[in-house]
Amino acid sequence: MLEVENLTITYSEHPVLKGIEMAFPDHQITALIGASGSGKSTLLRSLNRMNDGIASVDGHINFHGVDINQPNANVYRIRQAIGMVFQQPTPFPMSIYENVVYGLRLRGEKNRQLLDQRVEESLRQAALWNEVKDRLKSPAQALSGGQQQRLCIARTLATKPEIILLDEPTSALDPISTSQIEATLVDLKQNYTIIIVTHNMQQASRISDWTAYFEQGQLIEFQPTEKLFLNPKEQQTADYLSGKFG
Amino acid sequence: MTKAERIDRIATILILLLALAVVGLVITVLGLILIPGISHISWHFLTSSSQSFETGGGIFDQLFNSFYLVVLTLLISVPLALGAAIYLNEYAKQNWFTDSLRLAIEVLSSLPSIVIGLFGYLVFVLKWGLDFSLLAGALVLTILNLPLLTRTSETALSQVPNLQRQAGLGLGMAKWQVILKIVLPAALPGILTGAILSAGRIFGEAAALIYTAGQSTITVNYQDWNPFSPTSFLNPMRPAETLAVHIWKLNTEGLIPDASAVSSGAAAVLVLTILLFNLGARLIGHLISKRLEK
Repeated sequence: MLEVENLTITYSEHPVLKGIEMAFPDHQITALIGASGSGKSTLLRSLNRMNDGIASVDGHINFHGVDINQPNANVYRIRQAIGMVFQQPTPFPMSIYENVVYGLRLRGEKNRQLLDQRVEESLRQAALWNEVKDRLKSPAQALSGGQQQRLCIARTLATKPEIILLDEPTSALDPISTSQIEATLVDLKQNYTIIIVTHNMQQASRISDWTAYFEQGQLIEFQPTEKLFLNPKEQQTADYLSGKFG
Repeated sequence: MTKAERIDRIATILILLLALAVVGLVITVLGLILIPGISHISWHFLTSSSQSFETGGGIFDQLFNSFYLVVLTLLISVPLALGAAIYLNEYAKQNWFTDSLRLAIEVLSSLPSIVIGLFGYLVFVLKWGLDFSLLAGALVLTILNLPLLTRTSETALSQVPNLQRQAGLGLGMAKWQVILKIVLPAALPGILTGAILSAGRIFGEAAALIYTAGQSTITVNYQDWNPFSPTSFLNPMRPAETLAVHIWKLNTEGLIPDASAVSSGAAAVLVLTILLFNLGARLIGHLISKRLEK
């Protein structure tokens, strides 16, 4: 569904990703790992064009066989089909309910019944429903950090994307919230293709099916997670995993 | 006591004294304005028209003109300032053009108001043929108001976390939707506070208005709500003396026997009103941020 072909991304003359080739497996969790500055976040952000106007893209990112960067591509549709969850929770200053339906309202959805139904569905999928079902009208900011992040996942799910991108979604959260989010993601892969950037190698090994290791803008190795962690093909990957890097 | 401790104590005392000097100055000025004026404020004083030659006149028209002028000015200047602030904070790239734009705004804010007033007299009053009118006054006050208002709006916008914008974009919103629906509501308390504070600033302005809004007040009909009727109190094309201009005029060429009492009373009303603007700004900012925090 999502493939990257010979992708090079340049920030003001300075290449941060060089000749990346990879195909993200459908309905699996792919983890992108590597040191800071390895280009993994840049790759993630270019997958739904969040780098527009910041970086220049060479090569192809094909979604259902169509390049998302071609001039007549609809960037808003792309971002609704390929949703993104950020490092820090980003609830909007409104109620829990309004946060979840925001993307739908944006599309002009007014059917009350459908909105209600989608709120419950998304919050259940994000494993937040039981905690908030009695206070959907209260402000989202009153939730804890972990709940806010699951709310942001629910907000992304509500627009029924096909792919969910997560940029270090648990780096600002405590261990309990982190494990709740991890469990949520594992549940979600039945219906969604998930790509997650993480600094936490245990996290990558716990939840992902595939792992890609990046170093200095290059994709060093892309393997099923178990294989990459237990039996890496490349020396660089082995060094990074054993902490010899840097 | 060590040397460091001694120096620390001396510095603390010095800073305290300086702070006291500032507070003392403010209290003295307020006292000098309020004490002679406040006894002159009465319901009659606030609600009756001013007299030209006799005692016992009020300041109703001037007070109304001042408020109306603030409203007109904000109607013109808030959209302009907001537009400029949105451009500078959300769209503009850091380059020579935006640098010079910012510089121009800075320069505008340091122009003496009498200069802006005379500019308004030449351009709005004479060239555009607006004559001495509320509209000409509002345009001049807009020039005076724009720098402060643009800067406070820009600051308010820049305090909205970038992640909020990214989250909006990530949901598939267009940039203008992100600005309209996420950034502006979040920046509203700051923008509103800036607008009210600037209202206090222009409420007390006199020099810029002497040659634009004029120094006289025609008799108007407060029952006539049609702004296009020449005698309506809402007609923006009528000349209108504001409270601050009235105070200036009483002190330079006042012919009424109780000129100094009326001027003291008017000055007290002016200061109290500006105080209310400031308290209002704080209150609104406080209420909104409290609502958002909940």
